[in-house]
Amino acid sequence: GKVPPSSILASAPSDKNLDAWRESGCRTTHCNLEVLQESTLVFLATKPHVLPGVLQEIRPAVGPHHVVVSLAAGVTLQTLQRLLPAGTKVLRLMPNLPCVVQAGAMVFARGGDAGDGEATLLKSLLSSCGLCEEVPESYINIHTGLSGSGVAYVYLFAEALAEGAVKMGMPGGLASRIAAQTLLGAAKMMLETGEHPAKLRGDVCTPGGTTIHALHQLEKGALRATVMNAVEVATQRARDMAKD
Amino acid sequence: MSVGFIGAGQLAFALARGCTAAGRRGRGVLAAHKITASSPDTELPTVSGLRKMGVNFTVSNKDTVKSSDVLFLAVKPPIIPFILEEVGPDIEARHIVVSCAAGVPISSIEKKLSTFCPTPKVIRCMTNTPVIVREGATVYATGTHADVEDGKLLEQLMASVGFCTEVEEDLIDAVTGLSGSGPAYAFTALDALADGGVKMGLPRRLAVRLGAQALLGAAKMLLESEQHPGQLKDNVCSPGGATIHALHFLESGGFRSLLINAVEASCIRTRELQHLADQEKISPAAIKKTLLDKVKLESPSLSMASASKVSLFTNKSPSSKKN
Repeated sequence: GKVPPSSILASAPSDKNLDAWRESGCRTTHCNLEVLQESTLVFLATKPHVLPGVLQEIRPAVGPHHVVVSLAAGVTLQTLQRLLPAGTKVLRLMPNLPCVVQAGAMVFARGGDAGDGEATLLKSLLSSCGLCEEVPESYINIHTGLSGSGVAYVYLFAEALAEGAVKMGMPGGLASRIAAQTLLGAAKMMLETGEHPAKLRGDVCTPGGTTIHALHQLEKGALRATVMNAVEVATQRARDMAKD
Repeated sequence: MSVGFIGAGQLAFALARGCTAAGRRGRGVLAAHKITASSPDTELPTVSGLRKMGVNFTVSNKDTVKSSDVLFLAVKPPIIPFILEEVGPDIEARHIVVSCAAGVPISSIEKKLSTFCPTPKVIRCMTNTPVIVREGATVYATGTHADVEDGKLLEQLMASVGFCTEVEEDLIDAVTGLSGSGPAYAFTALDALADGGVKMGLPRRLAVRLGAQALLGAAKMLLESEQHPGQLKDNVCSPGGATIHALHFLESGGFRSLLINAVEASCIRTRELQHLADQEKISPAAIKKTLLDKVKLESPSLSMASASKVSLFTNKSPSSKKN
């Protein structure tokens, strides 16, 4: 890994979650201020409604050497900068669930005082968790709709694929594993060949074959539009929640 | 080379116009006086058009056959067997018979003609109306006795009026569904696009002109590009912009599946019509009454079982027809 566990310090009010950290070899504390004192790169990973209170608490301990990265959905850079000392290097990060298996999709945006150095640091650190790209802040809500929530869309699709197979006579466990591998393989081809998905799709379609028949069903069901609707709705919801 | 058209309707007109019209290279590929077209119906609007072009027009299909090297059968599919019965005796080994009739297999034409000529050269082709502006889409399949050169000759002729390529016969019905009927889908789309323009304030003529040019340009881009149409579409869609909003509407309406359905329906119907013909069941509506009467007059040996059921491919004794 990029960082030895002993260099990581995590704080939480109770021990509820901290056991897991300690088991990985990380240090833990119940004191937020201690994290600021011991670390240069600080991740704010609380629930959004808790964050303003936490920021008030740690503000006195935040200095120009700190790099503060917020993971809180809907809390803007403007808000973060307002609640922290002027000139603090602030960045905002939106990951997604598969970071857990190092196949995440993350985007981050930097505040006014965060420079190239901070961006490079964050990007290189997080690349170990998956794809990590810098974006303008306005893309973060879109990322939520596409990839944050998007993971759930994929689970839904995988479940449906497997159900189709079960209907046709395959045992559920096997169908599920094959469905997942199919998605993984297709995604890998997209990422590694860099080819347009429409072209990759065409490559699979032999004239008059099984695939084109199946795709016709998907088109009849307006799958594309439905997926676009999903991304749109989730993005809009993220925007609405940020205003609250 | 002289070319003949049995049938003087839309298809004959389009092909004759395309072949004779001066293109970018200056001259048409075929001189009008080398073309003969025939039809019993002289009232067809296309007949005067053909005459104005300088094409030799006659009411005698036999005359057309005699003066042609390449003979296009440009009649509706149910008429084909009548035509073959009529002109069969005049078909010689030198003739290249090109059937443009949707859904009519080479085998049925060869079978009919072989009662008159032992090795008839038959080519089946599927083209479309834009041959008239030299932007046709044509495919052809060669029959048992048509040589490679015969195919190439046709290909040369059809390539002068658009895109032309050889295919296996079993693909021709699919081609009918796609590019045979295709222009109709495009006209429908253009009509609707123009409506959209008019709704948003454009004068109709301008809307039609711009819509047509947009499709023409897009088609040209695709033909000249290595890129997938999906990629070309992406190139037009700026993030959050007008185009992607519009595309979302198209997707919501199942635009893609509608087009797939259309191609499928046209192909299936083509096969269905062929099947009906094979079973020797033709709806009266498919054959214009005047034509039917005409054919009855000229070919008394053909028996009409009933008004609603016409016997098409029965092999009557040829002795009364041969010279």
